[in-house]
Amino acid sequence: MFSLLGGIFMGWSLGANDAANVFGAAVSSKMVKFHTAAILASIFVILGAVVSGYAGIETLKGLTSFGKEEAVISSVAAALAVVLMTAFGLPVSTSQSVVGSIIGIGILNGQLNFTGMGKVVACWFGTPIGAAVVSIILYKVLAYLYNRLNLNMFESDALIRIGMIIVGSFGAYALGANNVANVTAVFVGAGMLSAFNAALIGGVSIALGIMTFSRPVMETVGRKLVMLDPFSSFVVVFSLGITVYFFTLLGVPVSSSQAIIGGVLGIGLIRGVDTISHKTLFSILTGWFLTPFIACLFAILINYIVHLQYVPHR
Amino acid sequence: MAMNSCFLNDPECENFDFYIKQTHKYENKTSDISDEINNIMYGKTLIPDSRGDIMKLLNKIDTIPRLFKDILYMVQAERLTIPDFIVDEIRELIRISIECCELLIRQTVALFKNSGGIRTLLGNIETNESHCDNIERRIVATIFDSEIDPFRKLQLKDLIEKIGNISDAAEGVSKFVNIMSLKRRV
Repeated sequence: MFSLLGGIFMGWSLGANDAANVFGAAVSSKMVKFHTAAILASIFVILGAVVSGYAGIETLKGLTSFGKEEAVISSVAAALAVVLMTAFGLPVSTSQSVVGSIIGIGILNGQLNFTGMGKVVACWFGTPIGAAVVSIILYKVLAYLYNRLNLNMFESDALIRIGMIIVGSFGAYALGANNVANVTAVFVGAGMLSAFNAALIGGVSIALGIMTFSRPVMETVGRKLVMLDPFSSFVVVFSLGITVYFFTLLGVPVSSSQAIIGGVLGIGLIRGVDTISHKTLFSILTGWFLTPFIACLFAILINYIVHLQYVPHR
Repeated sequence: MAMNSCFLNDPECENFDFYIKQTHKYENKTSDISDEINNIMYGKTLIPDSRGDIMKLLNKIDTIPRLFKDILYMVQAERLTIPDFIVDEIRELIRISIECCELLIRQTVALFKNSGGIRTLLGNIETNESHCDNIERRIVATIFDSEIDPFRKLQLKDLIEKIGNISDAAEGVSKFVNIMSLKRRV
């Protein structure tokens, strides 16, 4: 159990940070109470992890071969990279951090699956772009249907509120299914956990993060989304759910934060307004390049420290 | 009613006090209705942004009956009588101001029933308001061209401006209704 701590911490941090992407807009605009959102998100994250999380686990464990020690080093290195970058205020993605640390292990043992790695990296680039495309299409289609319904204010608000709960739950399901691999895939690769146990432990640790520490992040991240009108934030969260779920089917863990940025960008394009700043675009680039690099470096460094031996002088 | 049937037609009208009381009663009733609407809103599944907008709308609407009450109190307290040469113009000003309020009622109902025509109604209110501004300026000029006592001129100018504020307030609320409608358009 002790050796799983790095992964569990990773799950906790993921839950605390990324639940904001799916329920932040609804909570910070007070459409949904935090406790309702946290309970729904936790249930659907665990469900997503247990029902649909295996493809991602397969992909990550296939990136290199793991021993027990390497799995622990990999998860600790990824967790440390997340902590360090958060402490320095740098944008960080758990998916990219985990893959970075796995690359580090792969470099050390000389067994890196370049085909799998290429697929993962391609999906990282595809996440914000895909989410932007999905949000543009969704906005067009749903706006057409919404306008045809000709709802009054009360009916429209009720529909948006229910819609936010449904797409938030779907987003949480997609998040659990997609990101559980970041939490425990390396332990499956090392034979320490079965795929089911890995999905369950991963899902529960993400849910723990949601229940204990997601409120402030939801309020902060959600407020940015609420700058959009309620219908647009609904479309953004829905496009996040679809995009992340699509990559779950491909078996590649991606960043839900980057998906949401893509969704907001799509809305900006369709409405002809600047929704994304240069700073946000910089955060995506940092996520793509700096996070895996630091995590990889940590994995190599920790491995080196672990194998240091005291040789007494004669 | 008080304006038309009393101080424009009959400066010694006995019913004037009654009309003031009635106006005051209705003005108070608007506050009660606002509170009632606030209570109903919390029972509905309105999103907080909409609730905030409705509360702002209620506050803005609430200023209009207050303007009517203030005008009547002013007439009563300052013992104002209207000189004959501006009676017709003032009657026209009051008629158009009230028409602005009626159009505003239709526009607000259209907002909540989503029945359309909000922008057109805003256009009508704006036209009426600018018409009121013209009449207001004309009356003030006529007052200052006349031979009446300078102090009375200032009193009347003040009254005309207060009546003119009704259409201004209606236009302000109407613009807000239009923004509420635009915010909800997808």
